[in-house]
Amino acid sequence: MSNLYIWPEMPFLSIATLVFASMIFLYLARTPMHLAFQSLDDGIAGGMAKISSWINSLVSKMREKSKKVLLESSIADCEQKIAQEFKRVDVGYTKHLADYPKLHLKIDENIAIIAADFKDCGQAVPKAPGWCDTVESITQMQGVASGDRVVEKMLKELQKTAIDGEKAALSEMRKTSTKRHKILSGLAPTWNKILKSMNTVNTKVALALETSGKIQKYMEHYDSISKGGADSIDMLSAKATKLFIFSVLVIIIAGFGAFINFNLIALPMSELVPAGTRVLGLQVSDVSALVIVLLEIVLGIFLMEALGITNIFPQISSMTLGKRRIVLIASLLGLFFLASVEAALAVLREHIAETNAATTQALAGKAATSSTEGDSNITTIGQATLGFTLPWILAMVAVPLEMLIESSQHVLNKLLILIILLVGYVIGIIGHLISTIMKTFLHIYDAYIIIPTQIGTLIKSKS
Amino acid sequence: MLIKQKFYTILIFASTVLLSSCSDSKQYETAMCALADTSGTYAKEKKNMVKIIKAGIIPKLVPGDNLFLITIGSNSYGEKNLKGKLTLDYRPSQANKQRIEFANVLDKFGKDKSSAKYTDISGAMMLCSGYLKSTQAGTQIMFIFSDMKEELKAGLKRSFDKDEFTNMNIVAMNVTKLNADTTDPQVYRSRMKKWEKRVLKHSAESWNATLAPTDISEYIDNLK
Repeated sequence: MSNLYIWPEMPFLSIATLVFASMIFLYLARTPMHLAFQSLDDGIAGGMAKISSWINSLVSKMREKSKKVLLESSIADCEQKIAQEFKRVDVGYTKHLADYPKLHLKIDENIAIIAADFKDCGQAVPKAPGWCDTVESITQMQGVASGDRVVEKMLKELQKTAIDGEKAALSEMRKTSTKRHKILSGLAPTWNKILKSMNTVNTKVALALETSGKIQKYMEHYDSISKGGADSIDMLSAKATKLFIFSVLVIIIAGFGAFINFNLIALPMSELVPAGTRVLGLQVSDVSALVIVLLEIVLGIFLMEALGITNIFPQISSMTLGKRRIVLIASLLGLFFLASVEAALAVLREHIAETNAATTQALAGKAATSSTEGDSNITTIGQATLGFTLPWILAMVAVPLEMLIESSQHVLNKLLILIILLVGYVIGIIGHLISTIMKTFLHIYDAYIIIPTQIGTLIKSKS
Repeated sequence: MLIKQKFYTILIFASTVLLSSCSDSKQYETAMCALADTSGTYAKEKKNMVKIIKAGIIPKLVPGDNLFLITIGSNSYGEKNLKGKLTLDYRPSQANKQRIEFANVLDKFGKDKSSAKYTDISGAMMLCSGYLKSTQAGTQIMFIFSDMKEELKAGLKRSFDKDEFTNMNIVAMNVTKLNADTTDPQVYRSRMKKWEKRVLKHSAESWNATLAPTDISEYIDNLK
């Protein structure tokens, strides 16, 4: 500092002279300095403000695009669901309508049987014999009242014949009734058949109604999405986020499952694939175990595709039913094979672990503790079961994987928008701060040269 | 056409990455050397030494690892001092058999009652250094079972190279104290200090003289 003194022996005077000289200089350079600061302010703060506004416009464009993608994917999803339902309706109707003439014929046949039986049941009441009129004519004959023996005999004969006739008619009546009852009881199975056929019709109609209800629901959903209202967007966004979170959770759990599966087969794989070479720091046996686990997941994806549960590969979903069945059987066989291999490896793992423990004990000079046969079998069976079951559970990962792929696009886009927006806000705040600092600096500058400025103003006003 | 070109470019790139990622597993392996003092009073410690090696070192070996057993005698820098060599097979079943076989070698060594007149620790260390280097293992450990008092036979010359113990971790195990050590602990301390200075000067990675037999497992795990 003392080097700057004009007169080192008089520091106060030196400082005063320097301050005065700087004041004069800064007063004279006021206009260009103001312009320079203004330009700097415009350059930095203005540039940042422009970046901030560009980010805002970029964000709104990204939002629009994200909305569009979300809407389009939801529409496509909805269309696919509707198409699937229509396909189901088509298949159902083709099958059921093809069956319908048969069903109708069956019902017609049964009704014809009933009609015939009903006709057979028609009741013909036996007529009373015509003796009554004869008896009446005889009673009007002369001498009946006087107790003529001939008439009396005649009447007795008539009575006897009437009683016999009545008996015969009653017997005939009973016979007919028995026959009729037989026919009527024979109708019951036919009625049951008709009832069964009608129930089948009822079930199929209910199914058709359920499908049409579903289609109606999908159509309403499709209609609301197509309109692209704010509510629909919010609903779709929330749905995608929910799907993303759940699928991530399931994938993490599946990851732990895969880790357990890997550890179950890694040790025995070293017995089968012994090699000193490493790939990406992993032993070849470990890589082999990893490949088996990954193959199980791949086969699971193909299985789910063939079953029509997921739709990751359009080539598979667009295959004919026969070809899809081939893929399904191949995937099932592949999974069964890998599960069996894993079960065998799990048994081998237990054997190796037991040998390792025995060797360590022998080296430590302890007598090998022999576990009971039962315990050993339980562990082996448990490991084998785990080895056989885990591949099938891992195969299910295809479903959350598809959900994750579908929803991650929207969620990651949302996250990216949030980050860009945050960067935009930060840049805007920095720009504003720089602008404020520049202005404050200019005010301090003006305050420093206040004396020459005031003198200059006074001189200007007098002149 | 363009898609085909891109496909081939990706295929070549992926193949290159995969091939370059395939590496030899030497850097992941461990080579260990046990130097067993058979001279003077320390010869009585043979059984104890064998016990420590069997219970502490052998179980820590994994497939691909190496273990050498070298005796410290009157002139230790000779192939006859290599009493046993073990390179574990990558198959666990074979590895277990090899462990048992090596344990038998150790038992045989433990039962041998012969003892050497002189103590050529440096010669054994130089021999061990050569074997460890030849393995090119990523982790190299030298366990010295001795009282660490060197007594060279007249005429023997033992000077280490500058990089004699590069990448090696040296542990003085089961160091017994001599009569002079118990009379004046500084004798023992200065002897150990001297060894430490000497091995570190010749590029040793680390020196440890206080490791308990029960801590061997943890020590090896930390180095790996």
